[in-house]
Amino acid sequence: MRLKPWLAAAALCALAGCAQIVKVEPGQVTIKETLKLTTTSAWNRFELQFPLSVAPGASEVWTQDGITLDALAFFVGVAQGQTLGSALPGVSKKLPPFRGTMTPGEIVELYEQLVTQDGSAFALKRVAPGRFGGQPGFRFEHTITRKSDNVLLKGVAQGAVVKDKLYLVAFTAPSIYYYDRHLPQVEPLMASAEIRAP
Amino acid sequence: MQRRPFLLGCGCLAFAAAAGVRADDYDYQVPPRFARPEAGTDEGGLWAYMDREEQRLKRSSFLIRDPALHGYVNGIACRLAGEHCPEMRVYLVRTPYFNASMAPNGMMQVWSGLLVRMQNEAQLAAVLGHEIGHYLQRDSVERLRDAKSRSSFGLIVGLALGAVGGGSVGSLAQMGILAGGLAYGRDQERVADKIGIALMARNGYAPAEAGRVWGQLLEEAEGAKAAGEDVSSTNILFASHPPAEERREVLAAAAKRDWPGAARTGADEYRAALAPHRMGFLYDEVRRRRFGESLVLFDRLLKSSPRDGQVQYFKGEAYRQRGREGDTRLALEAYRAALEMDSTPPEVHRSLGTVLRQAGENAEATRAFQRYLELKPGAEDAELIRSYLTGSQS
Repeated sequence: MRLKPWLAAAALCALAGCAQIVKVEPGQVTIKETLKLTTTSAWNRFELQFPLSVAPGASEVWTQDGITLDALAFFVGVAQGQTLGSALPGVSKKLPPFRGTMTPGEIVELYEQLVTQDGSAFALKRVAPGRFGGQPGFRFEHTITRKSDNVLLKGVAQGAVVKDKLYLVAFTAPSIYYYDRHLPQVEPLMASAEIRAP
Repeated sequence: MQRRPFLLGCGCLAFAAAAGVRADDYDYQVPPRFARPEAGTDEGGLWAYMDREEQRLKRSSFLIRDPALHGYVNGIACRLAGEHCPEMRVYLVRTPYFNASMAPNGMMQVWSGLLVRMQNEAQLAAVLGHEIGHYLQRDSVERLRDAKSRSSFGLIVGLALGAVGGGSVGSLAQMGILAGGLAYGRDQERVADKIGIALMARNGYAPAEAGRVWGQLLEEAEGAKAAGEDVSSTNILFASHPPAEERREVLAAAAKRDWPGAARTGADEYRAALAPHRMGFLYDEVRRRRFGESLVLFDRLLKSSPRDGQVQYFKGEAYRQRGREGDTRLALEAYRAALEMDSTPPEVHRSLGTVLRQAGENAEATRAFQRYLELKPGAEDAELIRSYLTGSQS
């Protein structure tokens, strides 16, 4: 049988080390020089050369048990006119741009557009004001029914708009077992965030 | 006109002996019931594959499981299929694209993007009748055989059933592949159109609605073009041949034939059946971000039902989410008009408040948010909206 082009690309990618996993040690971490966090547990930073459907175009994606089981995505310093994350390859839908005047409700819409590009279904459960990174911000909880395998994911995200730039940390994991398993590490990590906006 | 023979070389089919059935004119005689093919034949293999896909579909989270809506659509399909009804299983799938399909084993899928676009029961019957036409002609067996021989069988079938969950259809580019890979032959489409209109008219539906389905799709495509959106990848039926214009014209001409007693459109019944799901379907429609198409759809729905506050609200949502120059004003106009209409969802007040707040109209924004909280005190964003009112959040 002929090798499918995408399979060949993926195989080549694996050989070339496109997907790299780097250990994140407990302690202080700074992402893109502006978002400072303290983690009490070790994480795996997943580095892919192509966007991951769980959080395409995120500044960084971390995981404990593997990217399909839990994913912690950081979107750091999304500027006016930029999209939150990036389009998945082969998807012609244009993502909406971020604007500094957006309400948290509208930022949830940006996130929904990002994570439903593959046809997954998003449902908002709660959005409320909350401090993030030492700034007035917001927090939202949601579910995602993943299109590829019908798995129901639970998610929580916290963010803030500082000097017209968006900072957002979003955690998603299957509602069965994995969400509750990792949430105790995620909550203090989100709470530790400090934004040093340039 | 060339007569299209039934599938040749397939002795497993019970109707194979039904020679002389005229498939290519409007006096179409429905063939006798089909029997399940032998497992050892290639068609038997296709059926087994489809059965497995059907099992997956049954478990899908994207299946619309409401017995009332299912019963309604299934009832229409069943009447159209006549004695073939027991061979058929209808599945409603929440996927915001215009599509219906029928697999050779009798699994029929109807997507929510189709349901939200139809104006009445007769239009839905036209599309279902067309798909049943392909089924009765065994077109998809032939098509899948062809796909198999092109060694892309799994890919094609995966895409065809992508709404189920396995294939990640939802991406417009993939929808394009779907259309290219799955397009029926020109003549197969023409014959299925004829069977479709015959079946609907025999069941008392106004046949003029069949051509209108195509007219509507063409209008939406025009809307998309005018808005600078790419049309080719959005609507899988546009990749079909013959082109939509021809099908609209042929069906409109066919509707002028003598179809005794065929006058029912069933607009009220259709609206009532869809009502519990319409908010969700319209929400999905706007989330596609194909605003040119959606706005044409909304205007069409508003034309036939001018006091429809749901559609009017989503028209405002389309403008707000598009966010082009001048869209804020259009969104505001749409929301304000929705306030005067019937069954307008409470969310209109939230959207109105959001847009007004950004425009600096704080007093009016506050009133809108207050109204939203009165109507939906337990909303998922109630805490956030309350914080706007108390000023605890800038």
